[in-house]
Amino acid sequence: MNDTVNIRELNDLIASKSSFVSMIRSGMDRRIIGQKHLVDSLLIALLCNGHVLLEGVPGLAKTLAIKTLASLVAAKYSRIQFTPDLLPADVIGTLIYSVKNESFEVKKGPIFANFVLADEINRAPAKVQSALLEAMQERQVTIGEQTFKLDDPFLVMATQNPIEQEGTYPLPEAQTDRFLLKVVIGYPNKEEEKSIIRQNIVGELDPIVSVIKPSEIIEVQKIVEKIYIDEKIENYIVDIVFATREPSKYGLKDLASIISYGASPRASISLALASRAYAFLQGRGYVIPEDVRAVCHDVMRHRIGLSYEAEANNISADEVITAILDKVAVP
Amino acid sequence: MNKVRSALIFISLFLLGWFNSFSAPIQVSARLDSVNLLMGNLMTLHLEVVQNEGTKGQFKIFSNIDPSRGFVPVCGDSVELRTDYTVDTSSLGSGKIQLNYSVPVQAFDSGTYTLPQFVYISGNDSAASNHLTFNVVPVNVTAEDEISPFAPVAEPDGKKFYDWVPDWIIDFWWVFIIIVLAICLLLWAMNKYKKGGLPQILSKPVISPWDEALSALSNLKERKLWEQGMEKEYFTELTDILRVYLFKRFGINAMEMTTRQIMDIIYASDFKDKKDYVRQILNVADFVKFAKVRPLPADSISAYDNAVKFVKETIPQESDNAKDKNNSEVAEEKINSEEGGKER
Repeated sequence: MNDTVNIRELNDLIASKSSFVSMIRSGMDRRIIGQKHLVDSLLIALLCNGHVLLEGVPGLAKTLAIKTLASLVAAKYSRIQFTPDLLPADVIGTLIYSVKNESFEVKKGPIFANFVLADEINRAPAKVQSALLEAMQERQVTIGEQTFKLDDPFLVMATQNPIEQEGTYPLPEAQTDRFLLKVVIGYPNKEEEKSIIRQNIVGELDPIVSVIKPSEIIEVQKIVEKIYIDEKIENYIVDIVFATREPSKYGLKDLASIISYGASPRASISLALASRAYAFLQGRGYVIPEDVRAVCHDVMRHRIGLSYEAEANNISADEVITAILDKVAVP
Repeated sequence: MNKVRSALIFISLFLLGWFNSFSAPIQVSARLDSVNLLMGNLMTLHLEVVQNEGTKGQFKIFSNIDPSRGFVPVCGDSVELRTDYTVDTSSLGSGKIQLNYSVPVQAFDSGTYTLPQFVYISGNDSAASNHLTFNVVPVNVTAEDEISPFAPVAEPDGKKFYDWVPDWIIDFWWVFIIIVLAICLLLWAMNKYKKGGLPQILSKPVISPWDEALSALSNLKERKLWEQGMEKEYFTELTDILRVYLFKRFGINAMEMTTRQIMDIIYASDFKDKKDYVRQILNVADFVKFAKVRPLPADSISAYDNAVKFVKETIPQESDNAKDKNNSEVAEEKINSEEGGKER
């Protein structure tokens, strides 16, 4: 077979540069039992320079996952517990008067880190959520008159508890759209649960050794940007996104009353980016339809608005996406 | 002498009276048709007015008529003078005219009534009529009188043909027309059938999935796409033929599946021994379609040969016919329903 030079070179480059992926996976496996999908999602977000919204009940190793990932990447990690009395300054930082210097000095907030865990983001008021989401989008914050660029790589993992909704401030759709992925995690199975018990009662664990530096992650991000997406794949992505907007045109007449609004162009962009990152994780220099399907649920589930009828019939966004994937022709 | 004197006095008085009669500007008199009026019946009150020609006047009683009532009550509302009276005018000569009012009178209470004087006013002059008295006679009704029964409904004069048509036909005429048309159509069809049969509806010839796939493959080969450097188009069409065949032959929705999904199903199927053919085609096709890979001629030829082999080796045997027919029917039904959905 006669490969074109670009793809062959890219495949070789990926093969040489993607060894850290297996090391990160094994490093994560030593601390987190199960939740492989969560680990892959974090890696995809990291490679795409995106952010993750995580939904799951407490105690599913969400904090541990991002903390472990930060240790494996030798990156700075911070955690912000969102509460109703939190202020934007508590997230981004503020100006503090120094008596010694007789001037205001900048006190940087916890957002100045490579990996930020925004725990229970829906417990803080909208102004705090907006401050975080703006920083996520712009990758810089302004304190007083000074603008500070945030560290690279910069990954925010925000969590939401799906069961306790009282006294929360649910994220508006326009803001959830800024998260590259929304990952829903469930309970571990019996075997995994047993392993978790054994691991946690054994005593102190081995310290985590970093396997990659933040600067190397930035290099890898540049490689991911080069991964080839054929026009056929672009058409496939567009078809999937358009099927959420005009389901009747794709033979999904039943979904017309279930979807109140379809995915935005940001969904198409995110789907392409995440597919590329997934192809990288598979060691490929080009995207195939399987990559798109693999990330489709995580990319789309928070970008499709479901109608009251869907909620009444207990139809989830995941079911809608599955129906679309089963109907849209694969190139 | 006395006689002459008496004659002169008589003549003088006569002339004085005669002149007086001519000198009075208005004279009014009243009379009735009869002095007896049957209760509820009508009679006419005649009012005669003599006045100078060219003057205008009116009876005071008719000066303020309420048109909505249609009558003027008199004698304490017991007698009614109807307002649809008529007036005739006739000339008496010597500058005098006579107006004859004919006023219908009716009453509904028995008794004796005296009509009031009717005052006629013309300019500054006025005159009143004489009094009139009449009886209103009640109608004699006895309990012994026989009450006539209702008369039967009379038949209309000059009956038309539709008077004999039953009402249900008038109400549901359109049903009747439809029945008549249906009978006509049936008769026409029977007549046509006797003469040479009804026109036959041509059914689509049923092509088996394998014949269709082999025909499409042959067509693809003839177009020599990969030989012209159009490998991507070639492999796109080749995989589409294979996917359509998998759908129609085995009911696998291959058009909406990725390579891995198709292979997973084939691994679990009855024809897993043919998996290598499909795997080679799909793997090469993925490289060509999504990775800008230009395949070697051997890869293109091999993919084509494998597609033909796969189709030929999965043509059902006699024993499999029933099952395969069922699969094809399911696929056909699905295609039809999808086409229907698209049309909708």
